Amino acid sequence: MSKVLLKDLAYARSGDKGDISNVGIMAFNKDNYEILKKQVTPEMVKAHYKGLVKGEVKVYEMQNINSLEIVMYNALGGGATNTLRWDETGKAMCQGMLYMEIDVPKGFKLAPPP
Amino acid sequence: MKKIVLGAGSGYAPSNPMQAVKLIEEGNVDYLGFDQLAELTMSIMAINKSRDPTQGYVSGHIIDGMKLILPRAYERGIKMITNGGGVNCEEAANQVIKIAKESGLTKLKVAIVRGDDVLGRLASCQEKGWKFRNLDTGEENIDRIKDNIVAANAYIGSDAIIGALEAGADVVIAGRCSDNALFVAPIMYEFGWKFEEKYTSLIGAAVTIGHVIECADFNCGFGSVVWEKVPKPWDIGYPLAEVYEDGTAIIGKAPGTGGLVNEWNIKAQLVYEVHDPNNYLMPDGIADMTAVHVEDLGNDRVRLTNMTGKPRPDTLKVQIGYRVGYLAETLTIVPAPKALTKARRVEEFGWRRLADRGLKRGDVEVQVDFIGVNSLLKSVVPIPDEDNINEIGVRVAAKAKTAREAQALAAAFSDASPVGTGFSAPHRPRAVIALWPTLIPREDVPVDFIMKEA
Repeated sequence: MSKVLLKDLAYARSGDKGDISNVGIMAFNKDNYEILKKQVTPEMVKAHYKGLVKGEVKVYEMQNINSLEIVMYNALGGGATNTLRWDETGKAMCQGMLYMEIDVPKGFKLAPPP
Repeated sequence: MKKIVLGAGSGYAPSNPMQAVKLIEEGNVDYLGFDQLAELTMSIMAINKSRDPTQGYVSGHIIDGMKLILPRAYERGIKMITNGGGVNCEEAANQVIKIAKESGLTKLKVAIVRGDDVLGRLASCQEKGWKFRNLDTGEENIDRIKDNIVAANAYIGSDAIIGALEAGADVVIAGRCSDNALFVAPIMYEFGWKFEEKYTSLIGAAVTIGHVIECADFNCGFGSVVWEKVPKPWDIGYPLAEVYEDGTAIIGKAPGTGGLVNEWNIKAQLVYEVHDPNNYLMPDGIADMTAVHVEDLGNDRVRLTNMTGKPRPDTLKVQIGYRVGYLAETLTIVPAPKALTKARRVEEFGWRRLADRGLKRGDVEVQVDFIGVNSLLKSVVPIPDEDNINEIGVRVAAKAKTAREAQALAAAFSDASPVGTGFSAPHRPRAVIALWPTLIPREDVPVDFIMKEA
């Protein structure tokens, strides 16, 4: 196994509803999706955000578009405009996701971002 | 096969009316939907209206935008649906009619959708035993916040908009209808789809299509995951959806505009704020985002097929806005050399000063961010070596019951600055509104419309 960052495998975009942050991860292709599906677990995500996310994390699979939908509760410090955070609506949360470490098989050929 | 073309004339406020004009002039659209509301907007407008009864709608859109848009749409018979009426659809309609008269337009029918304001219904629902449990926190009832509530609005669906279109409305002005309904309503109206079992999948498709285009230019390359590949990003167009009677659609954009409609920008919409993608809950139906097929046709066209859904829920979402105090912010900028060390000293001194006043870290709502280092994502991303940092913005945010208290908390950090620190004028503290998301039985939210004519 070797390690890459999630940004080598997928794009991501985030949004908010109240204090809930969501991050959609769009894998570049089916192979990348299969790898991400196994490793992007609620536990991994919660640990990755190091205290920014205080509540439950759910991960939904969207096989049709090789994507994962991550929903994180109590994740925006109270949500807009109640939060003390600069990024009230968590638009940058997706960019943090891109720095998650992912294991890929040795010699795995990374596809360039489409 | 019958087809209609919907354009998204805005996806948030403020929007660019010239892009809506391009959809009118070049996009061959039949309808334009204008989403103007974020989650908090209704509360902010309710406060504005309480100070001045002629306020409470999105004036930049209703007045400045419509001066450009209305005559051009009228000339081509394009119907428009907006939620920019906010908490004062009546006054918004008056303004639109005034613009129509000034522009020499006659027999323009303007409908006002009513029913989303449920502030006056909270008490009667509670008497029946409905508790308005907080969907985010699970808190059981609204007793704790009830004295601080500024607005309560239900996300209503398409019913009254469809009614208004059937009655011949040229412009439909709504308040807190779902963004989605701005597009679902014309689709259902044009194709004759009803809230009946046999139309469930088709309405699921309409909900999906509405969800995709409601963010306007995000479909076309604004805020794009492929931002480096977006052509002419200074002139990103607004999207349109060619919707077919079989429940399929092609997403495109106004010809000649900048931007890019491709599979990545559309997928980014399909994952955006949907939460459970198997059950994307909207007032008009529950869409299944895990079924849709996305096919990039090239030339800024993406086809959506295989969309489906479930019948609409018996409850509607309600956002209750309530006051929670004031937020003060300060920003000072510390320069290299040793920018990170300087920033950390500012933070340390601030906390020491608060401690001297008997205020401990866990007892006050204060956050210190180092802009350029960790203000967006704290330690989720690696912290750079300070030799590589030219300057750091030390931003302090503090929340308290009064503006004065909030200001005093933040100020503890701003005058402890090391040599070379750059200051700017402090911002005024602002009132903080928090949101309480909850549900209300659909039967307790009757909706209707009234029609005015220019």
